[in-house]
Amino acid sequence: MSMSKTYHPLVKGLLDGERSLADLPPELRAEAEEAERLLGAVDRTPVSLSPALDARVMAAVRRRAASPVRRAWRRLVEPREFELRLRIRPWIAWGGALAVAAATALVVLGRPSVIPAGGPTPTRVAARDSIYVRFVLYAPGAKRVAVAGTFNQWDQNAAPLVPAGTSGIWTTTLALPVGQHQYAFVVDGQRWVADPGAPAVDDGFGRRNSVVAVTAHAGRAL
Amino acid sequence: MGQRDEVSDSDAVRAVLAGDVDQYAILVRRYRDRYARYAARMLGSRDAAEDAVQDALIRAFDQLAACREPAKFAGWLFLILRNRCFAERRRWPREGRRLEDTDEAIAGPGRPDGRLEQAERARALERALLKLTAEQRDVFVQKHFEGLSYEEIGRTTGASVASLKMRMHRAYDRLRELLKEHA
Repeated sequence: MSMSKTYHPLVKGLLDGERSLADLPPELRAEAEEAERLLGAVDRTPVSLSPALDARVMAAVRRRAASPVRRAWRRLVEPREFELRLRIRPWIAWGGALAVAAATALVVLGRPSVIPAGGPTPTRVAARDSIYVRFVLYAPGAKRVAVAGTFNQWDQNAAPLVPAGTSGIWTTTLALPVGQHQYAFVVDGQRWVADPGAPAVDDGFGRRNSVVAVTAHAGRAL
Repeated sequence: MGQRDEVSDSDAVRAVLAGDVDQYAILVRRYRDRYARYAARMLGSRDAAEDAVQDALIRAFDQLAACREPAKFAGWLFLILRNRCFAERRRWPREGRRLEDTDEAIAGPGRPDGRLEQAERARALERALLKLTAEQRDVFVQKHFEGLSYEEIGRTTGASVASLKMRMHRAYDRLRELLKEHA
């Protein structure tokens, strides 16, 4: 038997299932048999957990669903019907709209290489409880770009961005309900990209979701 | 009951997000045992596995709005569980848990087939697995207990096949050493 502490690379290939015992030279036979005993010790018997686990999880889940904090969060995040009445002087409305338009134009036309730095841009009030928010991503070379988030159940096909000529800038404007939304861009249907211009939160699993808060007055990156 | 289980993961996730919390029971029932073996082998104990699976399911509910691809709920939940197992493993030295403090083998010594030698080898391997790093044990458990290929493991975890193989080959060498000590 070999005195080496490590397995020969060919034996590792056997353990990986990439070689058979017959592929190995006779001098490795003993080591290979030892390796096969190692795999023979793997016990794949299914492990059953207590039947009470389902009830415990569902009890915890229902408690959480009923908690005031979660209800408040859902009120923030989920679209709902409510009437928004605004009384503003016409010159304020026109002034505000012009300021937003000017800011958007500056971001889009003035500094194409840093477009994402602005994050999602509110443009105007859409329906009673929604605000139009403009999403912009600089993605030269991309064949398609979409934005997916909590506002469209992370559907990669629901909100495609449109390229602005050949500049590499992709944009779309969506009517988002008032509340806080998490989102990310999907480039070429497979690459998830956080908005470099918006704050992001960790989704807990090593990926970043961008965040936008839409208020009755405007959208803002948190 | 059969009808409830025909509900797809993505439909169940969307229903829960829309406020129908009871639909979450479908996902709990579907995945509780599927991932139990992984957790048990990662943590060396059925009780610890049960805690980990329970925590992962509750945490998944808390984070459900961040599940970008509801159709891939299974992989997403697995990552939550895997992170939970890694975190638990990191806590052990701080809590003074000895690696030998594991179940009397998850499969148990009283195997009905009476193959005591095989049961003893399985127990020795389980004890040795707990002395690997969490990353090494993870790849070993996924490949050899769960029967996944390197490509499948890489798709879920985001690791490259080359790095998974390197981790695994180190695990083989370490296991060889540990099992020789045991013998």
